[in-house]
Amino acid sequence: MSGVDIEAIEEQVKLEIPNIDSRESLEVLRVKYLGRKGILAELTARIPSLPIEKRRILGQQVNALKNKLNLLFSDKEKSLAANRNQSGYSNVDMGLPGIAQDLGRLHPLTQVIDEICGILTRMGFSVVEGPEIESEYNNFSGLNIPLEHPSRDVFDTFYLRSCDPDAKSRNLLLRSQTSPMQIRMMKTYQPPLAVAAPGRVYRPDATDASHSFMFHQIEGFMVDKNIRFSDLKGVLELLAKSIFSQEIRMRFRPHFFPFTEPSAEVDISCIICQGKGCSVCARKGWLEILGSGMIHPNVFKNVGYDPKKYTGFAFGLGIERIAMLKFGINDIRLFFENDLRFLKQF
Amino acid sequence: MKVTYNWLKDFLDIKITPQVLADKLTMVGLEVTSLEPAADDWVLEIEVTSNRPDCLSIIGIAREVAAITGEKLKLPRTDKRPTPKTQYRDFSIDIRDKKDCPLYIARVIQKVEVRPSPDWLKQRLELVGCRSVNSIVDITNYVLFEYGEPLHAFDLDKLGGQKIIVRRAKTKETLTAIDGKSRALDTSALVIADKNQAVALAGIMGGLKTEVGAGTKNILLEAAVFDPLIIRRTRQKFGMQSESAYRFERGINLDIVEAASRRAVELIEKVSAGKCILEKKSGVSGRKQSRVTFDLERAGKVLGVNIPALRAKGILSGLGFKLTTKKKSIFLVDIPGHRPDVKIEEDLIEELVRIFGYERIPTTLPAVKPRIITDNTRDPVSRIKNILVGLGLNEVISYSLIARQLSEKLNIETPEPIEILNPLSTEQEILRPLLASSLLGCISHNLNHKQDYINIFEVAKVFSRVTSEPREGLHLAIALCGTKPWLFPQGLIKDEAGILHIKGILETIFIKLGIREYSFRVDNNAANIGIYIAAEQVGFLLMANKDVLGRFQIKNKEVVLAELSLDRLFSQVNLLKKFIPLPLYPGIIRDISLLIKEELKVEEIIQMVKEKGRPWIKQASISDYYQGKQIPAGFKGLTISCLYRADERTLTEAEIKPLHAELTVFIQQKFGAQIR
Repeated sequence: MSGVDIEAIEEQVKLEIPNIDSRESLEVLRVKYLGRKGILAELTARIPSLPIEKRRILGQQVNALKNKLNLLFSDKEKSLAANRNQSGYSNVDMGLPGIAQDLGRLHPLTQVIDEICGILTRMGFSVVEGPEIESEYNNFSGLNIPLEHPSRDVFDTFYLRSCDPDAKSRNLLLRSQTSPMQIRMMKTYQPPLAVAAPGRVYRPDATDASHSFMFHQIEGFMVDKNIRFSDLKGVLELLAKSIFSQEIRMRFRPHFFPFTEPSAEVDISCIICQGKGCSVCARKGWLEILGSGMIHPNVFKNVGYDPKKYTGFAFGLGIERIAMLKFGINDIRLFFENDLRFLKQF
Repeated sequence: MKVTYNWLKDFLDIKITPQVLADKLTMVGLEVTSLEPAADDWVLEIEVTSNRPDCLSIIGIAREVAAITGEKLKLPRTDKRPTPKTQYRDFSIDIRDKKDCPLYIARVIQKVEVRPSPDWLKQRLELVGCRSVNSIVDITNYVLFEYGEPLHAFDLDKLGGQKIIVRRAKTKETLTAIDGKSRALDTSALVIADKNQAVALAGIMGGLKTEVGAGTKNILLEAAVFDPLIIRRTRQKFGMQSESAYRFERGINLDIVEAASRRAVELIEKVSAGKCILEKKSGVSGRKQSRVTFDLERAGKVLGVNIPALRAKGILSGLGFKLTTKKKSIFLVDIPGHRPDVKIEEDLIEELVRIFGYERIPTTLPAVKPRIITDNTRDPVSRIKNILVGLGLNEVISYSLIARQLSEKLNIETPEPIEILNPLSTEQEILRPLLASSLLGCISHNLNHKQDYINIFEVAKVFSRVTSEPREGLHLAIALCGTKPWLFPQGLIKDEAGILHIKGILETIFIKLGIREYSFRVDNNAANIGIYIAAEQVGFLLMANKDVLGRFQIKNKEVVLAELSLDRLFSQVNLLKKFIPLPLYPGIIRDISLLIKEELKVEEIIQMVKEKGRPWIKQASISDYYQGKQIPAGFKGLTISCLYRADERTLTEAEIKPLHAELTVFIQQKFGAQIR
């Protein structure tokens, strides 16, 4: 044995170590050199058979080599450990399903109602809900809808069958709009008043892709001493832009409603074609989203407000229509079919 | 209402394109729903609101165009002519009730030649959607579209006697109209009659017998006004539609009847020869002049924009209103006959601003401090919905109107439901007294679409009669069906929905709403489990039986359902939260594992542990329970975790050991349990 052998072993280890990429293979290498039956153990075993003067030298050389190799192995082990901390999740399969309670969903109509009521609440409106069974007075007469108006027909409003045969028929009905909440609130409270009233409404329409005998509306109204048409425009612009997008354009068109004067229908630029004209907007470039106006003085008289003293605005919007536009839903019946494959998309 | 661009041009100069005109009309409240080119002309279809019958005419629309563009309206000149004395001088009009028919003008035109209409006439009528018949009928229709006043021509020689009677039909009187159908009338219908019989259904359709045809020589031209309600009811009763009825129902301007009649005569003489030899009129002449005070300053306050007086006067007079200045900014406004819809100052404000332009009103935000009105149900309902969604349930919205038979499928006793007087079908005949049947319907639908796990809820009104008064209540219903797979590294757990799932959901709600005194009561004979708050039952919880499920076409599946009254629940809600100081000293937890008879109720054991463990046991809860292979039949395994703690010092192991041993033995003896 000579010193060359010792150096060769060290060189060999230095060549092999860089190729090691795991603790396991490092351990195999360590055992090969430093194990009980390793190369160094073999060298040590030979020492007794050597001449006495060489015994001491080789003994020293093997010991020095052992220390050097131990150092090399421990360095390598440290660097392997460092690497493991950087990307040591190679055996975690992130393709496996996560473990969590599934969240359910609020109905898309509830989501739209909550969104709109949230916006209105931030503008100072109080959100209240009213009964679905209404009197003819609250649903029609109080709102300045004349006795002979077609909307009072049995073709346009559901009436309740009276169980008292002596009672005058047609006195109770299912509200055909959320506007009766104007009458209820104004009869109960004095101005200033800002109210949003969401809820179910009913009309005897034959069901098809765009008609339903039950649907939802939100009525909003504000009354005080100096409420102006320009305020109506401001509130509705804020509302529509919050619901759809800041980019939409709006227009107010004169219209006729018995309970507002002046009245306006509100259109937004078509959110599908950006106003260029498509099938959703019937190539008009505009989508009608709500009806509105300044509350008619007769309505104020009916609730005991002085129309000379107070002005106010009111608006009513159909939730299904907004939801259909917002989510791109093409059939109103989907809302009431409650198919989980539909509900879970929202 | 259809109008053509060129027809409008008969009455004023239009210097804007049809496209620009359509936009402008839309923006003053006459929404143009379509604009189509047609034979050297353009057809505009306009949606006229119910308050504007004056715009159901070319002249009416032309007047709006004049107000928009500032051009002058040129109405046709129809000069009055002298009437020669004739053999018809004894002709008379007999209106039985002036309320039914305020005005009737008859003109006799002799020696007409009924022929096909000239092209210009045919074409215009066709463009506005009216079929050409013959020159006489076409002219009456032409004037109807032009003036908005429906006219009717009778074959004079087929009228019996020199008399027109406007009267109610007699009971069982029949009339065959020009559509060939014979109708049995009653006194609700208004007819035009000769001395013998009804010859026309007033304002709706003429009679077949006196119809103008190829052989007609002499005609009687009717221009009249009829009561809108009578026309509407009769038309609806017989399911008839006509351009005349459409206009009479919405109201006719008395001022134009005479002019329309003369215009028709002029056209008949031109197109169909003939000569007008007689005119007779019966009824009111002119209407009551109405006048509204208009304050421009107030208009500015209502609108949020000030419109200069000169501009305001220009707009209103352009629309036909006559203004007299009373004071600075205050005007007296005479309302013209074609605008009976304008009654108050606000109506004039709208007239002013719709022509001025809604787009020129600025957008502002109101400076109000409105009162805050709290709705006592919206907030807790919203909390409940969010809790349920957090627990993985999906909200459904189902119809409040249902078939009576759907409600009965449930087999749950309900109060008398409220019936709908005029349902569209039996599917909507009652207002639902409970939500549960609707949820079963939803589950059935989803099972059909291969959903394995259905967990849904609805919050909605329910309806019933309480001592004959209709009553609304707010309910929550929850339904679970099927098996929910939970995939853990330890393996798949198939979690089949059962009573305890609904119990857990409800408890979460109760706890979150601060409701403490809730309980679930199992009565041996009851078909369901009662949900109680204190002593009051607020709802029920049940496992639907096979019969009920079968009626909903649900097979081989279990459905658990709960329904409760939120009105009753909400009276117990306590959302106030109060902090309880954290314990100063640590506690020690010791378990008791028992094997007890199946029928023993866990609740009793827990109560006993708490009672017996006073004052050291602060909490006792079930930390494990098991029934199955390792447990003898008729028994259940149970582990109760007991938390021992003192408020003023740290309890030691040595103190607890004998206490817990004693408690364990006590419970064992008390309930005949074995310690595991």
